[in-house]
Amino acid sequence: MEQVENRSDIETRRMELRGIVRLAGEVIAQYWPMRTFVHHNPLHSLEYLPFEDAVRRGQQFLGGDGYLPSHVYRGYLKTGRIQAAHLDAAVKPLVRDKHVVIGTHRITHGEVLRACLAEGLCTPIKEPLDDQLPDPSRNLIDRIAANLASVLTFPDLRERIRAIAEGDRAALGRWLTLSHWCDDTFGTQIVRQINDQLIKWCEAFLDEGHATWSMPERENGLYGAWKVLAAQEWSLCGIKHSRRKIARLPDHPEDALLESLDALGIPSDLRQDYLSLQLTALPGWAGFIKWREQQRDYPWQRAYPASLVKFLAIRLWYARELVHKACRNELGIEGRYDAVSAYMQNHPEEYYLRRQRVAGRLPALYAEEVDRVRHQKGNGWGAVIERYRTEVVPRQVVAARRGAARRLLALAHALEIEPTLLTESAPADLKQLFDWVEAFPESDHGPVWLKAFEAGYQDRLLGRMWTQSRRPPADEERAPPTRPCSQSVYCLDVRSEPFRRHLESIGAHETYGFAGFFAAFILYRAWGKEHDTEQFPVIMRAKHEVREIPRSYLDHRVSQHEARTKWVRAGHTLLHDLKENVVTPYVMVESLGWFYGVPILGKTLLPSLYRRCTAWLRHLFVPSLSTTLTIDKLAPAETAEMLAAEQQALVRRALQERTGVRRSRITHDLVEALRQRALNGQENLGSSLLEAAHRAGLSTETLNTLIEALRRDYDLNARSASRHKERITRMGFTIEEQVLTVDTALRMMGLTMNFARLVLFCAHGSTSDNNPYESALDCGACGGNEGKPNARVLAMMANNQKVREGLLKTGIKIPPDTHFLAGQMNTTTDEVQLFDLEDVPPTHRADLSRLQEDLREAAELTRQERCARFPDVRRALKRKNATSHVRRRGSDWSQVRPEWGLSGNAAFIIGRRELTRGLDLEGRVFLHSYDYRLDPSNRLLEVLLTAPQVVAQWINMEHYFSAVDNETYGSGSKVYHNVVGRLGIMSGPWSDLRLGLARQTVMNGDVPYHEPMRLLTIIEAPCECIDRLIARHEILRHFYHNKWVHLVTLDPEEWIWYRYRQTGTWSVIENQSNRRAFTES
Amino acid sequence: MMEGAIISWLSAGVPLLGAVLSLAVWSKPDRLKVSAILVSLVSLGANVGLSGSLTTPPEGMLLLYLLPLAACVSLLGQPVHSDHRPSWIMTLLFLGLGLGVLTNHNVVGQSFLLVLLGSLIALLFRHHTALWPISWRGIGTYGVGALCVGVSVITGPPISAVASLLTCAILLPLVPFHEGHVTALTRLPGGLPSFVVLLLPALGVHGLTTVVTAVPEVAARTVSLFALAGSLYGAIKALAQSRVRLLLAYSSLSFFSILWWFVAAARTPTPRVAVFVGAVGLVTSGLLVAWQVIRTRYGDDVDPQAISGLAFTMPRYAVLLSLLALAAMGLPPFGVFAGFMGLLLTSSLTPSVGLFVTLVAWLTASWYIMQMVQQLLFGVRRPDLRYTDLLRTEFASLMMVILVLLALGGASSNLWGPEQTAPPTSANVEAITWNK
Repeated sequence: MEQVENRSDIETRRMELRGIVRLAGEVIAQYWPMRTFVHHNPLHSLEYLPFEDAVRRGQQFLGGDGYLPSHVYRGYLKTGRIQAAHLDAAVKPLVRDKHVVIGTHRITHGEVLRACLAEGLCTPIKEPLDDQLPDPSRNLIDRIAANLASVLTFPDLRERIRAIAEGDRAALGRWLTLSHWCDDTFGTQIVRQINDQLIKWCEAFLDEGHATWSMPERENGLYGAWKVLAAQEWSLCGIKHSRRKIARLPDHPEDALLESLDALGIPSDLRQDYLSLQLTALPGWAGFIKWREQQRDYPWQRAYPASLVKFLAIRLWYARELVHKACRNELGIEGRYDAVSAYMQNHPEEYYLRRQRVAGRLPALYAEEVDRVRHQKGNGWGAVIERYRTEVVPRQVVAARRGAARRLLALAHALEIEPTLLTESAPADLKQLFDWVEAFPESDHGPVWLKAFEAGYQDRLLGRMWTQSRRPPADEERAPPTRPCSQSVYCLDVRSEPFRRHLESIGAHETYGFAGFFAAFILYRAWGKEHDTEQFPVIMRAKHEVREIPRSYLDHRVSQHEARTKWVRAGHTLLHDLKENVVTPYVMVESLGWFYGVPILGKTLLPSLYRRCTAWLRHLFVPSLSTTLTIDKLAPAETAEMLAAEQQALVRRALQERTGVRRSRITHDLVEALRQRALNGQENLGSSLLEAAHRAGLSTETLNTLIEALRRDYDLNARSASRHKERITRMGFTIEEQVLTVDTALRMMGLTMNFARLVLFCAHGSTSDNNPYESALDCGACGGNEGKPNARVLAMMANNQKVREGLLKTGIKIPPDTHFLAGQMNTTTDEVQLFDLEDVPPTHRADLSRLQEDLREAAELTRQERCARFPDVRRALKRKNATSHVRRRGSDWSQVRPEWGLSGNAAFIIGRRELTRGLDLEGRVFLHSYDYRLDPSNRLLEVLLTAPQVVAQWINMEHYFSAVDNETYGSGSKVYHNVVGRLGIMSGPWSDLRLGLARQTVMNGDVPYHEPMRLLTIIEAPCECIDRLIARHEILRHFYHNKWVHLVTLDPEEWIWYRYRQTGTWSVIENQSNRRAFTES
Repeated sequence: MMEGAIISWLSAGVPLLGAVLSLAVWSKPDRLKVSAILVSLVSLGANVGLSGSLTTPPEGMLLLYLLPLAACVSLLGQPVHSDHRPSWIMTLLFLGLGLGVLTNHNVVGQSFLLVLLGSLIALLFRHHTALWPISWRGIGTYGVGALCVGVSVITGPPISAVASLLTCAILLPLVPFHEGHVTALTRLPGGLPSFVVLLLPALGVHGLTTVVTAVPEVAARTVSLFALAGSLYGAIKALAQSRVRLLLAYSSLSFFSILWWFVAAARTPTPRVAVFVGAVGLVTSGLLVAWQVIRTRYGDDVDPQAISGLAFTMPRYAVLLSLLALAAMGLPPFGVFAGFMGLLLTSSLTPSVGLFVTLVAWLTASWYIMQMVQQLLFGVRRPDLRYTDLLRTEFASLMMVILVLLALGGASSNLWGPEQTAPPTSANVEAITWNK
């Protein structure tokens, strides 16, 4: 009984720990594999907090800055990008109604704050104790410092030390791990040591086929594999008896983690924070494990399970051993929370000196003295601190006063006050000024700057929309619409905006914006591929599978195509194996090495030509096949037939592989009998099977072995068949589902009438070379893949006569002469490729030709516009040159910015195209077409706000944080990037998985190319409708109430612009001239 | 004879007189500094002008040119500040005394050396601090050095030879007589360490070139052992240092020990020895000036660990420091490399443990010097520090060092004096200049 209770108690503790770890993992964002790069907010889990608080948490846990450095903002102020009025408005809430009189000048609190921002007075400059640089203001500074002497006093050293020790005691466990504490106090490298170990194990364990020799024991899971292998390592970070200790660890990672937490003595109320700190030490690897943990169907996770608990169990074991060792060696105490805390309380002076020494804040001689006392393990600390107090502290006080005087002098210059007045002013007044400056540290400037920065852009955008937008005419006043030449629907992506603008300017083309997955949530398998891609936003789930298959009339070419593809693959595999083998590279280098010179020279010197040549060769050897998609759902009989065919193929393969029977001797009867036997699981072999087997020359024993192998090794059994059948039934859409999909898509984009003869669904993708971030340039709404399959699916559905009949019932009448086309825009070259052209009716050839011509011209104009943004293009390029330039960029393997289109995103407009038509939005705005009149129930708007807006916000926040602190939230320079495990990027050979975007993506030199601002969502819909949706969805409340997204609406009924306030109310933006009110709100 | 003595006095007298005259502008630090720099340049000019009339010492004339240059470099590298006035005057004084030692081959020269050591002791005593108790050892070492000079004056061979050798081992540091060198480089005020690091080894090598031929074989072997131990000891100690001046003191000890080993093995004084000493001394002087640049900005006793990220914020400084570091590591085309190669190529050394040890010590320099440079130039840029790139005088100072090192690396050693190839004989005993 007692045993049962103990067991239940252990289970309870484990479950409780798993809960704590889940909460601790909130501070790190999921890390998607690179091949389907998903833009996301690195602080996504903290969106329940106000933006500023979340940024602060990010700073505390990850050490990342949430705003640009102040000097960059000051640069914007100087260039006029930030307007003085916006800055004043942003700082206004902080201003107190106080002033100080210096001479005849009346200095207000507001002026001081403004000067702090604009002149950088609050930059935390440490005044050296005795610098000797020539300084013409030195005398003046000394006089001001002398004037301050009576009022600027500093607490006694012992008091300061006590306060520091108490502060650190309070932070221990909350913001400071014991490993960090040891590093800061003893100068050890425990955190680095642990990180190095974790990187080593994670890199090997999480590898997804990149490593030539994969890590053994992975099937035991992360913790199990580590336990087996680390127990065989000779020496681990100098931990004594590490092999024995690891071997003794519990089998359950939860138990091991609990054991380590107990050994470190972490109080239960601090455990969540403590584990958060541990995770944030390697947010990349931990983030990837967090993602993988939640993907239960992910093949790699199924095969080699990893979880944050396992990760932490390993990490904490190293931490406890190394902390214990350091504390024992240095202080002779246990490496436990309570012992360390007691040490800080009982020996604050020793602790202070040690920390100052490690931080390099002691004068050199004192540093030596501290080292000496430390090594002698003596009790000379008191003498050192006493001498420090008498010799150094007075100099520090003088330096601090000089620093204060220097700031006041800078303030006087900023306010254009005669500096000598400061020497004559009352010290109390000077102190007051200094206190105002001190009370507004640079860490508080970010939110103010950001507000002013955003206001500038928002003002400009809204001002232009204000003048552009016209109130829609009432229904009775509306003129009958003219039929456009074409209608095309593009992804809402910011890169579509310039193309749409140019296409509209060329002819009578209407364009629409829509989420690039075109409402088709599909798992897609391209022809000849072995894996599915998830063609929908990562926040959704797929319901349907679609496969690409060759068109039926090409059956005779399929086998030839397959055979050639197989040859190409075999060649690749052979080359790869030869390269990776232990011995063969020695021969390879000599014999084949020089062949590699051809691609190296080609890619380097003539990238465009090289790409064209290789594409031509590839096409020559393996010509592409015209394909179609499996849109329609299979009938039950067809499903059974397909399943049987697949199983029969499997049996044939097994027969050949396991028994060596020649193909000519394998009869259909034998195959079918074997299939049935394997599925039914009966032990007795039927007479028909025995007869067929006998004809094929198989003995009974062989037959039994084969059936067992079919069931076990080839997974041919009833359970698997059922699973397989279920998967096949997910393939394709019923007619009703197709009607619903097309209806939803057309209504959401506001295209329900006046259809053109050609309607193009245009997805987007990109091409670049040597770019691990290639998928980041693809469609975010399609899970980081190209959107081509989705566009084809929707076009095929919409061309289906039965679907059109269904749509008629829902009120959408598509004219019989309207044909839907699928296409894809290459965002690197702006070229649009159209698909399934064999399905275009002959009657539409002329329309198609004209559309293609206009698409070409629009692409040329877009390229020209885009080329002007590249920093390496100094002057405007002609159309032809722009075309060759973007093609070269796309195929240049040394190009760090093959496209550079997504950076700069700043706003999301949900509304009719009339609001923005003709406006140059500089490729910075996500555009989603929406006509509120077609959405009386707000169902469509609800989808838009909870899906496309979320994707846009993730993209925006990814860019924001990568720009403000690229080292922490971004992935640093591309120059140092290394692909690891086919899943992510490391900087150099050994680092955390790098989060976010590369420096070159968001920065232009030292200046941000992407202006980091929070997303501005502009909706054309009545306020009350939006209110209802905000009340219904927590995510929207988080966005708008916590200031992650700015919301502005144009109420189409009243034709009034409103801004949504944090408090949940709307404020009117009256007109352009008093837009200041908008800014201030 | 009389004319030679006057010329020798003239060489030493220029800086000494300059030091006295400079006192006239004591109250104006900027003028005092300019005056000291001018005096050092005039001294250089005088030495170049008088070189034809001076007796060429075995190590050649190079050191006579390098000393005023090093003084000028040291003076240029210091900021204009009243605290540095004594060190400027002392620089001129030391320059005069040093030139006196190099140009006078009799009791006068030893008298100059005695005064120099006495001044050093006084200065070190003046700047002694309880936080740095081991500076007593340095003071003691120089005391022993002064005693040895006295003994060499009043006694005859072989005692005088041993006493002279000991004096050389103190001036051109050799383990276990290196404490004076370490203390001088760490405790002397202002820019004096950056001058003394060339001055004293130059005087040491000047004495060594004459005494080395006279010491018995046993003593030479002992020196050889000490030298090998010293080269490794210096390298290891340098690796363990976090303070720049200590690191440079041990680094130069390691390099000078290499020289000791070569000289003890070859026992042939040549101008190449002077090239090596001059280059090592000058590059260390340059690195000390570079460190002085940091001290000027962030205080005398700043901890180097507190400084990082200068490559971005002080690019001119970063470039010159990197070049100096390359020179200090013994890479071509700088003088240290040329000096080392000169020693290797002129001596008839066969592969041995000693050669291996010296090569290890040489290569180790790449480690600790690079570590120091990386610490300063790279890493996180600290926002709480005020960054000011090199001032004109600082730039000139570091640039001079680099140019001179390049010249030493490129010029033929014959330029500084004739190659002495004769094997050592006992007859050379008569040539010991510090003896009677």
